[in-house]
Amino acid sequence: MRKDRYVEIYNLVKAYPNPFGDDVKVVDGFDLKVRQGEVISVIGHSGCGKSTVLTMIAGLNPISGGGIVVDGHEIDGPGPDRAVVFQSPCLLPWLNAYQNVMLGVERVYPHASKQQRREIVEYSLSVVGLAAAMKKYPREMSGGMQQRVGIARAIALKPKMLLLDEPFGRLDSLTRMELQDVILEILDHEHITTMLITHDVDEAIFMSDRVCMMTNGPGAKVGRVLDIEFERPRDRAELLETDQFYRYRQALLSFLDECELEKDRLKSQKAQQAPKKEKTTVRERIAAIF
Amino acid sequence: MAFKYKLLKAIDVAGLQVFDPVVRLCYGEEPKLQLRRIGLFIVIPLLTLAAFVALWAYVGPRHKTKAGEVPSPAVVLQAGQDTWRFDAWEDTKAADYKRAGQDREQALAAVNARIEELEPQAEQAAAQLAEVEDAYRTQLMEQVKPLYDEYRQMRVDFRDESQRREAELEDRAAHLSGSVAEREAFLDALREHRQWEEGEKAELAAFKDQIGEIEDAKAPELEAARAQSNDLGQELQYLRKRRDQLTSDNLSLKLADAEQRLEQREQAFLQASSGEEALSLANQILAEEAAMERIETSTYAKPWTLPDQIMRSILCVFTGFVLASIIAIPIGILCGLNRVFMAAMTPLISLFKPVSPIVWLPIVFIIVGGFIPEPSDSALLDFFNAIPVLGAYDVNPAFLSSAITVALCSLWPTLVNTALGVAAIDKDHINVARVLRLGFWSRLVKIVVPSALPLIFAGLRISLGVGWMVLIAAELLSSSEGIGKFVWDMFNNGSSQTFAQMFVVVFVVGLIGLLLDRIMIVFQRLVSFDGAPTAL
Repeated sequence: MRKDRYVEIYNLVKAYPNPFGDDVKVVDGFDLKVRQGEVISVIGHSGCGKSTVLTMIAGLNPISGGGIVVDGHEIDGPGPDRAVVFQSPCLLPWLNAYQNVMLGVERVYPHASKQQRREIVEYSLSVVGLAAAMKKYPREMSGGMQQRVGIARAIALKPKMLLLDEPFGRLDSLTRMELQDVILEILDHEHITTMLITHDVDEAIFMSDRVCMMTNGPGAKVGRVLDIEFERPRDRAELLETDQFYRYRQALLSFLDECELEKDRLKSQKAQQAPKKEKTTVRERIAAIF
Repeated sequence: MAFKYKLLKAIDVAGLQVFDPVVRLCYGEEPKLQLRRIGLFIVIPLLTLAAFVALWAYVGPRHKTKAGEVPSPAVVLQAGQDTWRFDAWEDTKAADYKRAGQDREQALAAVNARIEELEPQAEQAAAQLAEVEDAYRTQLMEQVKPLYDEYRQMRVDFRDESQRREAELEDRAAHLSGSVAEREAFLDALREHRQWEEGEKAELAAFKDQIGEIEDAKAPELEAARAQSNDLGQELQYLRKRRDQLTSDNLSLKLADAEQRLEQREQAFLQASSGEEALSLANQILAEEAAMERIETSTYAKPWTLPDQIMRSILCVFTGFVLASIIAIPIGILCGLNRVFMAAMTPLISLFKPVSPIVWLPIVFIIVGGFIPEPSDSALLDFFNAIPVLGAYDVNPAFLSSAITVALCSLWPTLVNTALGVAAIDKDHINVARVLRLGFWSRLVKIVVPSALPLIFAGLRISLGVGWMVLIAAELLSSSEGIGKFVWDMFNNGSSQTFAQMFVVVFVVGLIGLLLDRIMIVFQRLVSFDGAPTAL
């Protein structure tokens, strides 16, 4: 029962106050259930509120309505049980790779011995392929290496949920593929429930078990959810040769196109509805006053 | 090779990138490029400095003041050397006072030998000086006497002519008719006479000034002879003082003397026959013992010399700086963390920030005086005087008020920069702390302070610079021994020698300020995690 609804998001709303009218609802009625160990991608046009949903799950962004339940507990604020990997690596520049990971480990394993903590840190760094660069400072590492440290820091927390906010957005395509493989390998081992925010259709299909497509904002919600029925572990080259891959791709792209069309339609409708202001000259207005 | 890059890195951290091409040239790396860089960024600045010195050497001596002319660079250099020599001599005298046994005898022999060597030289120099002075005077007389004669003659002529003219005018006045034209003509004549008189007087004065200039003109030979004689005289005087410290005033000799007297008294006491005599001798023994104790702990009363005063000033500025940092950094962090606290502090900060040290000092002086009613018996002063290095420089109320004034004036840059650094923490880093649910303290220690550290150090650097400037003024006002006091003493002395020593202080203060700034730059570079360059 709980395994099927390990993470449950119901009627999630995010509204920002608008001083000249009703609040602007960026996300309105977002519903999603995630199974334990599942990898779910959230895809949508930029500005549709994907990241807002993720930061709300992380607890970094207060919720305006609805709720989020993770493993039977409603969340209230950020916590190490939901580890986040941001788009920028967000490493502390005055700590080296080892210390950056250790910062979280110390917090999550307060009763572990020094030896145990060290092993955890060293294990997570070696998993992301940084066994040789533990003593390096962020300024001495490339963007891809920094993002690897960010991933190591997240998995070292042994989180219930891993939140990836466009983690490859700022990397070149070669590094991006490398890191996708690194993360997939980790997830195949650890079976961490994961939410991946992305706007890259191929990435979404390759990485996830289900792809959640969001409608355009404001008032964004879940449009459609697509099951990706590839076996794990996956191999990029094999996947790209299957017809199924391209069918999934076509489905996602057509949904995104629909969204775009819908948006345009709404825009033109709005323009028609808006009453045209009658232009009055200054003289007429003065005449009206007297 | 590795050493080369280590050296280059050290130069970079110290903010001395100017010397980078010198190192590279030594290792033979692209000599042409390095020579060009040396030419542009080392030789040209040196030339500018040389141009400044040349300008100073030209302009300075042309401005006459009450304390002689503005000293030229050479005079200032000489004054600097004299100041240092004075310190070395005083140190030697202090050491002489403590010398005992063979060491004392050897020193005494050396001093005596030198005195014997110098005395005939000094006599000779004095004789030569007298000779040169005589020669100069006769030469001057020869040169000046005809001029004086001429001057006297001019005065006599002027007086006669003036009398003649006045008699004529009187005569004319007696015979004035009623005609308007004639009377007006007389008025004109009188006016013309007055003008003539004034013109003649001015001419006379100018002539006399000319003679005076010739008399005042410096004769290089005479100056040299005088300087040589003075130098020898000074060294002799110093050597005689040393001899005193090694003989009659010497600690070990005085102690031996006192011991001998004590022994005599004790002998006498043991053999005293009457009770009255025994009591009196016993009293004398006690008095002698007390005197011996006093002698044992006594030291040579060394006057304050510039190097000691510099050291005391540096310690004073660091005392104030540490005080300022202890106050400013925590308040700055609180201001950066909490906007309400920042708002609460803003009026105080804006109000007190612009207050001049000249205003703070008297107030602080009185308040500190209130805490220390009796300087010889104060727990606060005892506490400071017990600190190892600081204690050797005699912490007194004036020192403390100078240090507190420095703190009051220099804490603002650190406070403002700390607040800014803490408030401007990267939002991503805050998010990391939130996700990890770090507590207040670990958030402070692991995220906030390290992130703000470069800006805190930038503030500390400005603070130290401000403190150093404020300190000199504070010492000058509070008469706390230090560089400021030295300047004040030299100003009050008002001779051309002391005028030159004030110029020495300009360079001493500048160099130490530069050094302090460099030290802070190194610290700032070491803590700036992003390796950001700092302004020079």
